[in-house]
Amino acid sequence: MSLTAEFVEALRAIVGDGGLVLTAEGRMTYECDMHTFYKGAPDAVALPTRADQVQALVGLCRRARVPLVPRGSGTGLIGGAMAPQGGLMVSTTRMTSVLDVDYANRSATVQPGLINLWLTNEVRERGWFFAPDPSSQMVSSIGGNVSTNAGGPHCLKYGITTNHVLGLEIVTGRGDLVRLGGKTVDRPGYDLTGVAVGSEGTFGLVTAVTVRLTHVPEAVKTVLAAFRTVIEASEVVSAAIAAGMTPAALEMLDEAIIRAINAGTGAGYPEGAGAVLLIELDGPRAEVEAQGERAAAICHEHGALSVSVARDEAERALLWKGRKEAAGAVGRLTAAYLLQDAVVPRSKLPHIMREMVAIGERYGLLIANVFHAGDGNLHPMICYDDTRPAELEKAKEANEELLRACIALGGSVTGEHGVGVDKAKNLPLQYAAADLNFMYRIRGVFDPDRIMNPGKLLPTHPACGEGFRPERPVLPAGTWV
Amino acid sequence: MGVSVTTRALGAALGAIVGADGATDDPDACAAAAIDDRRPQWVVRPRALEEAARVVALAHDEGLAVVPRGRGTALALGAPPTRADVVLDLSGLDRILEYHPDDLTVTVQAGVTAGALAAVLGERRQTLPLDPPGWSERTLGGIAATAASGPLRARYGTIRDLLLGVRFVQADGVVTWGGARVVKSVTGYDVPKLLVGSLGTLGVLGELTLRLHPLPETEATCLVPLRDMAAAQELAARLVDSTLQPSRLELLDARALVASGLPAAAAGLVISLGSVEAAVRAQQAAIGAAAARFRARVETMGPAFWRTYDRMLVATGRTLLRMTTLTTRLAETVDEVRAALEAADELVITGCASLGALRVGVAEDEPRLLAKAIERLRAFVADGEGSVVVERGSRALRARVDPWGAVAAGPLDLMRALKQAFDPRGILNPGRFVAGI
Repeated sequence: MSLTAEFVEALRAIVGDGGLVLTAEGRMTYECDMHTFYKGAPDAVALPTRADQVQALVGLCRRARVPLVPRGSGTGLIGGAMAPQGGLMVSTTRMTSVLDVDYANRSATVQPGLINLWLTNEVRERGWFFAPDPSSQMVSSIGGNVSTNAGGPHCLKYGITTNHVLGLEIVTGRGDLVRLGGKTVDRPGYDLTGVAVGSEGTFGLVTAVTVRLTHVPEAVKTVLAAFRTVIEASEVVSAAIAAGMTPAALEMLDEAIIRAINAGTGAGYPEGAGAVLLIELDGPRAEVEAQGERAAAICHEHGALSVSVARDEAERALLWKGRKEAAGAVGRLTAAYLLQDAVVPRSKLPHIMREMVAIGERYGLLIANVFHAGDGNLHPMICYDDTRPAELEKAKEANEELLRACIALGGSVTGEHGVGVDKAKNLPLQYAAADLNFMYRIRGVFDPDRIMNPGKLLPTHPACGEGFRPERPVLPAGTWV
Repeated sequence: MGVSVTTRALGAALGAIVGADGATDDPDACAAAAIDDRRPQWVVRPRALEEAARVVALAHDEGLAVVPRGRGTALALGAPPTRADVVLDLSGLDRILEYHPDDLTVTVQAGVTAGALAAVLGERRQTLPLDPPGWSERTLGGIAATAASGPLRARYGTIRDLLLGVRFVQADGVVTWGGARVVKSVTGYDVPKLLVGSLGTLGVLGELTLRLHPLPETEATCLVPLRDMAAAQELAARLVDSTLQPSRLELLDARALVASGLPAAAAGLVISLGSVEAAVRAQQAAIGAAAARFRARVETMGPAFWRTYDRMLVATGRTLLRMTTLTTRLAETVDEVRAALEAADELVITGCASLGALRVGVAEDEPRLLAKAIERLRAFVADGEGSVVVERGSRALRARVDPWGAVAAGPLDLMRALKQAFDPRGILNPGRFVAGI
């Protein structure tokens, strides 16, 4: 779509020339997030610094029925922060202030553009941190984390973003600046904060976030164990959870990833390792010591090739080195891959890993895995040759098949990345028409004019349309009707 | 809407859905099921979610108001209903549907009590760490609908943090699912969060999928008696700003200490720790050291304490207020409660010290005096955006004062719009929720 001159003038009046990107080259920077498949440049990008500007922008878009796409750092993996229908993009990258840190009440209030790790850096010295730690935490914004309800390795113990958000200030699609929740708990009324977290910008634009701060643990212990096969390692995950352990993180790397890491600087993994488990425990020192020993014992019982326990922070960093380099190392395996985010019940890990090997063989594709094993959140990277169009189609089919297998085991379409445009079509795997329709109507409450991030989160499905009526229970026939 | 029908025909229809024993219009049964003196025309007890859905569908078509009920332990929460035609007794939905100990998840029907579930989970040394007062007799659907919480929230959060998936019946009878059966999912909107604490006004909860935790190997509980509330607040703040990991961090005033069978003191913190034995002992020692700075001596308590405490909480106060305040204002808030309720006797104050969530039990039920005190307390906690909710109180009190307190205009608009979207005919628990929703 193209914007009218009046619209652009109105934008200028709100954010000024310096807060506006209108040139084709400038807008191109915003045409996609980290899922570069999906491209759509906005017709204009506004860079507000204050909530009142955001509210004015939403009001303007509402009146003109122009789609509005919120964007944080653009590090999402789902095609959420791009503009498939054009319109206005509102970037929060200039809203990076820490508004309030209240140690005594264990909370902080920040603007949405603040980088996740910056908050932890701000409060670390006093013994606190912000628990959600997506791998992108050095660059991703807290507003973006709220939008996708981001997870991360340590959410196994600490929970995902929603468990740490106490309140939001949000400009809804209705144009209202609303404060939801806050520092005190148990607000009477519906938990609007809870349903707004993870709404991917379809309810409105968050202008401030109040989060819970978490105290740093007394001790951290990291155990790294190598196994011959990913199946063996998966069994260890199931055994550890079943044994009542709650590690802070439980990460797995498979053979393909290990190969890629070894082809680079290496991480000291033993010869013949087909899977590596990284188990991190934190909490009271004595608990961590006992659990660390137990974790090592479980690994040995399951035929680990090697088990190393970090004795200090330097050794811990070394054990994490491979995990941190994994995503980059994939570049040595393939030029292109599809990234999945499905979840299976963790007891089904050995099952799904076997199935994954079979799917890879059937399609003749390499599937590399580095993922959050402890909560069953898979991140298979389905590698393909992007110079051959047929390979992409094959990869897509393998992807769908794998997703279906996860759902058949009682799993979920996405564990932490979110839906965006990428997975919207997959929602009917997990939800019936009535379920989708319920979500569609929630969206309508927050965004009656359907201007907020259109085309994201919900599929184009009959249940997501005005006239749809879900099937009702059949009532007994009788005289009352 | 169907043509007008006779009461008798509706009774027959309800009977056709749930069976003759499942629906009754017996005057005694209906009188016993009255909500705030409002007597329903029928009490209906489905044995399957599908039956509940058909009852709601029928009620919807006929414009009958439905009041969902679990074990009826929290019916005094909320405003008196504006209408109540059908009491939908969900206690018959009492099956544990799927328990996956290796995944630490369970799916239950809404009528399963927390106690019945605990008995099953205990065999595998697992737990659903939810302990609102009287928890073992309360249904999980009821705990979810009322967002009820107890001492364990200090470590494990509330049902908001533990509810993974939910199956519910919309106002028009459509059975709907939200969330997931796995411990991590962000697929679509977080529908479970919307339903937690919604008091059945957006849908009738039918099935819940919940996250479980392993039972700690060792648990220990200790009491720190303190010279006053300010000291209790300060010690709690120290413990929170430390690497300790208490499972419970309860604040008790003088009366609560006595009522729980504990030694007399002006205030006390009762702290429980759960971990491996060595870690429990180390943390106890740390609490001892922190307490010593307040010249307080730590007293170890037996494992039965929390059962005694639970019984005390259930028995305390004809009127029970749930208050939230900033943790930095705990002592001040307690002082204000005492001043506001000076004329009321037998005030018992307890709460979660690390979250500023207080329970105020009052023997008094004189509505005028209480209403005045509640308004005063609301004004006091408003600074920190706290709230005062009448969790239990006489009908007269709840008719005089909004049991929820005011909700700000912005969020309230959204809440009303949600109610309008999902229950336009206003048949689900009408009038009982915030702002008359």
